[in-house]
Amino acid sequence: MTEPDPTSFLPLPQAQFHVLVALTEGERHGYAIMQAVETSSGGVVRMGPATLYGTLKRLVDQRLAEELARRPAADDDQRRRYYRLTRLGERVCAAEADRLSGLVRIARTNLRPGLA
Amino acid sequence: MEDRQRLYPSLVRLYPSAFRREYGDDLVQHFADLAADRGARAAWTRTTLDLAITIPRYHLERIMTEQHSATTLNITIGVLATAGLASLMTDLYPGVIGMVLFVAAVALAVTQRSTLARALRVPDSRLRHRRLRIGAILAGVFVTSYVVYLATIGDSWTSTSTVLTIIGTLAMFGAIGFLVAGLLTPRTPDRDQLAGTG
Repeated sequence: MTEPDPTSFLPLPQAQFHVLVALTEGERHGYAIMQAVETSSGGVVRMGPATLYGTLKRLVDQRLAEELARRPAADDDQRRRYYRLTRLGERVCAAEADRLSGLVRIARTNLRPGLA
Repeated sequence: MEDRQRLYPSLVRLYPSAFRREYGDDLVQHFADLAADRGARAAWTRTTLDLAITIPRYHLERIMTEQHSATTLNITIGVLATAGLASLMTDLYPGVIGMVLFVAAVALAVTQRSTLARALRVPDSRLRHRRLRIGAILAGVFVTSYVVYLATIGDSWTSTSTVLTIIGTLAMFGAIGFLVAGLLTPRTPDRDQLAGTG
């Protein structure tokens, strides 16, 4: 099956991008994703449980993330479900990062020095 | 578990059943982790807003999924528009309610126009004929109600006039909608055509 063009997913909703970025660090369960999103956003993005799992559902439906069949750590709570990025998810995440960095570059260029 | 924490699993039942089946246990586990990690107050502060936003949103998304979309949308728009028009024309309720319902119907149709358009683009000769037939019947109802209205109209406004006006107006909108939808629905391709293109 041919993989969709990553740019066709852009712009990503903020919550989806945050979750994808959290998963770039490796396999995580839901609560760890929420913690990673909080850390990476400096505490600005605080996802509630349903927002998080709704976002994960959309990412899984779009094949940007997938649930692991096994638990990475044997001593971890077996009820937890772990997620990881798919190859498509990595490419989409990279494409969104490129898009945003281009935007940031323009903002930095256009804004007065000291503002950006 | 505190009483207030027992409330969360009950609130999870308010989510659409498919979402609840898939993620219900995760939500409860997540909330318990949050409460254990940050305290019940912080957990509820975060979760209350989350519940308020996501419960209606996920129900709306369920309604708008491809399987339900076209039929449910059409029914919702039709009910809202009918209730709105009936309210406006009969003065049974304050006009503002009718206006709000009618505007909601139009807004729903405009915001979901791509879903509606997608449903219209599916080739189906039987559906096309059915839509055109319903459109023709509604056009007949409109003409009949208008003729009867003209024949019975007097100096004073009667309940018959109100009923005929409501029926006629709804039939007119319905006829336009079904006839346009019928004309926009492509015919099912012939087998010969399919064989030629395949």
